[in-house]
Amino acid sequence: MPEQYLARNSRTAWRVYDGEAVILLAEDSTLNTLNAVGTLIWEGADGQTPLSALVGRICAEFDVEAVQAERDVMAFVDKLSQRGLLSVTASPHEVS
Amino acid sequence: MDELSLAIAGLRATVVTQHRDILDVVRDRYKGFLSPGTADWRIEVDVRRAAGQGAHDDVRVSRDAAPGRFVIERADFAGTVALPVRRASVTFVDANEYSIDSFLRILYSLALVEARGLIVHAASLIRNGRAHLFCGRSGSGKTTLAQLSTDATLLSDELSIVRVSDGWPRCHGTPFWGELARAGDDRSASLGGIYFLHHGSRHAVQAVTPRQAVERLLPNVLFFARDADLTARVLQIAADLIEAVPSFDLSFRLDPGFWEVIDRA
Repeated sequence: MPEQYLARNSRTAWRVYDGEAVILLAEDSTLNTLNAVGTLIWEGADGQTPLSALVGRICAEFDVEAVQAERDVMAFVDKLSQRGLLSVTASPHEVS
Repeated sequence: MDELSLAIAGLRATVVTQHRDILDVVRDRYKGFLSPGTADWRIEVDVRRAAGQGAHDDVRVSRDAAPGRFVIERADFAGTVALPVRRASVTFVDANEYSIDSFLRILYSLALVEARGLIVHAASLIRNGRAHLFCGRSGSGKTTLAQLSTDATLLSDELSIVRVSDGWPRCHGTPFWGELARAGDDRSASLGGIYFLHHGSRHAVQAVTPRQAVERLLPNVLFFARDADLTARVLQIAADLIEAVPSFDLSFRLDPGFWEVIDRA
């Protein structure tokens, strides 16, 4: 499977409380809160970290099988992309 | 041109207009908040029948091409707010109190961010020298709670202002009223606690975590600009506020006994 990279929408503001992210989207002021796994993905969505590395971290930290973790991550990424919070690219974002 | 200055939460604005009826409305509506002196903001006001024509019934705040400049439109007014130079201009369809008050609420929601302040859908009261902020949307009991608090000083029964300076929040009286139709006192006090309102069969307070508090507070913040920088600053102010004072869920029934559970919390 080709590698993918996640990037947070720059028009979000966010904070992490006790390992759980609270995200505010500028477009419509909607509030999203993530659980610990979602927060790990969110924090890793820096445009540079491969999705496979995030799946690996989830397997290591939450004791989940790789196949299950990958399926859950893709579903989560799809949901956040539809909400305009994340974008998925085939190559790393260039660092400005 | 005539002018009149008012100060809300320490932020002074001068209204400049050639329409005496505008100044009459401002003088009467904000009589507890009139304040001569050097203004932070200058608001130029005009009245023209066609103002806001074609605009949506709901307020629209959009970013202009210039940095820090916003266009504000509603059916009954159209204006601009330039944050870097602290100037606003607005044209109303007519000189009515409702339109002027709506524009001022939006203007202050933008201007206060720079002053590390937020307008919150909340009643606020000073009791025993400390301010208490009671957050909730329409129907949550803000006005009822204010009416029940006969031994407290009213800051607002609808829209409260909190400013965070040197890490410590102060709650300020506002003229932005709700069903009570009475302005708060032009006073301020250190904020002692934030309470998220719930109707209940008994009085009870329960501490909430900082994450829960931020989740509950943000939907109650009056904020219109779809702007990434301002949004980040609003979240920062809200987070600083939550970190500085304890937050609680407050269930209350229709008697003043809720103050006893607050005092014990």
